Amino acid sequence: MPEDKPGTPATGTGAGNIHIMVADGASIPDPREWRLINAWSISLTLAVCALVTLCVVWPQPYKEILIYLSDGLLVTFQVTLLSIMCALPLGLLTGLGRISRNRLLNLVASTYVEIIRGIPLLVQIFYIYYGLAKFVQVDSMTSAVIAISVCYGAYMGEVFRAGIQAISKGQAEAARSLGFTRFQTMRHVILPQALRTILPPVGNECIAMLKDTSLVSVTSLNDIMRLGRSYANANGLEFEPYSIIAIIYLIITLLLSKAVSLMEARLNYYDRRK
Amino acid sequence: MTEENSTEPIISIRNVWKYFGELPALQDVSLDVYSGERVVIIGPSGSGKSTLLRSINRLEEIDKGLILVEGQDINSRENDINKIRQNLGMVFQQFNLFPHKTVLQNLTMAPIKLRGLSRNEAEERALGLLKKVGISDKANVYPAMLSGGQQQRVAIARALAMQPDIMLFDEPTSALDPEMVGEVLDVMVTLAEEGMTMVCVTHEMGFARMVADRVIFMDKGQIVESGKPDSLFNSPQHQRLKQFLNQIL
Repeated sequence: MPEDKPGTPATGTGAGNIHIMVADGASIPDPREWRLINAWSISLTLAVCALVTLCVVWPQPYKEILIYLSDGLLVTFQVTLLSIMCALPLGLLTGLGRISRNRLLNLVASTYVEIIRGIPLLVQIFYIYYGLAKFVQVDSMTSAVIAISVCYGAYMGEVFRAGIQAISKGQAEAARSLGFTRFQTMRHVILPQALRTILPPVGNECIAMLKDTSLVSVTSLNDIMRLGRSYANANGLEFEPYSIIAIIYLIITLLLSKAVSLMEARLNYYDRRK
Repeated sequence: MTEENSTEPIISIRNVWKYFGELPALQDVSLDVYSGERVVIIGPSGSGKSTLLRSINRLEEIDKGLILVEGQDINSRENDINKIRQNLGMVFQQFNLFPHKTVLQNLTMAPIKLRGLSRNEAEERALGLLKKVGISDKANVYPAMLSGGQQQRVAIARALAMQPDIMLFDEPTSALDPEMVGEVLDVMVTLAEEGMTMVCVTHEMGFARMVADRVIFMDKGQIVESGKPDSLFNSPQHQRLKQFLNQIL
């Protein structure tokens, strides 16, 4: 076994290093990437340089736009963070439901995924924002978080399911043969290992989610996208505010994808050979 | 460990049938194992020997028949299979160590969570077992850093940490490089000498000769022949067993 390449799982330990990539999000940098010049560093440098140059050379209107958008940035972060906090447990429950031997749970989870995946997020946001308002009084932040986390809960459910199923059957059998219950096996043996497999695609989903929060600008929620639009309308400028918005999203997603990559490297601790 | 009445089998398999789809994997198999007995099951691949072993701790669900372990029907809803499994140590072909836990944690996890041992007690027991299987210096590394032979010895120690009454071995040396087979077999021989009840599926005929009280030969889901290793290996009765022995020896 010493001839194994680093990162390849030892036979029989069930440490599958499988990356389940879900298209759409930013690509997570490889934690083993060590070169100084790579796609990630080039993108980040370009984005930061562009932002600084624009604001320094033409403070009017770029710096003014940046200041105008800063409140929206907070809203964007808030929506993203709250949605992640709701979508993760929802995704875990959905994933567990999808592999459950209980037929009812299985059907509920599968139907939820099937329906949600077939409806565009933009439509779901409208639907919950205007539809829900007919029955209960909710503020725009709440309805945005509900729409996004319900949608991403379904996507993440699939990621969790795949991650759990990627852990070799032998792991569950070993745990069960020691006398662990189904629940204990999931909690202490399967999920901790699945977490590592799942982290890159879940991180990806979170980054995609951050970008998709721009869709809530169709409601009355003042995220950066909506503030940018209102600036554009008020000042008759289009190119300038949208450039700044694009750069801001790019910088945030690049930083987030790096953070996910660092976390991934940390989670690989038990595969490391010394 | 409970002292068993010598006339009562500790494992009793009666008229067991198991199907994989249409295919019968076990056909009317009956087998009694007594406390302290070492039973080795041999046979060609696909003969149902692993299926039989795995059905003893219900990793395979049987379709017909009865399996009693220490007098308890393992397939009955009235008996807690998780409790029964605590007394049935199992060693797998693929080791199946928990890769996210250190060697020591692999050994202490079940005793702490299932037997209610304190961390200190469990670690003391684990270190004793690691010494016994000859890898006490690897207590704090992760399984990925061990060789196959070392991993399998840890797996045996992990099963022993629950202090089971019976040990089941499912081709424990089949996934190992040839030079590592010996170190694992040595541990198993020691265990046999200590009087552990063992049921072992293996292709190691030398091991079977040395430790088995009884050798069972299976083919096509049936027990074809069983007996003391000397008589079974030296004067096989059935044509199928003769063929099998010719092919592997």
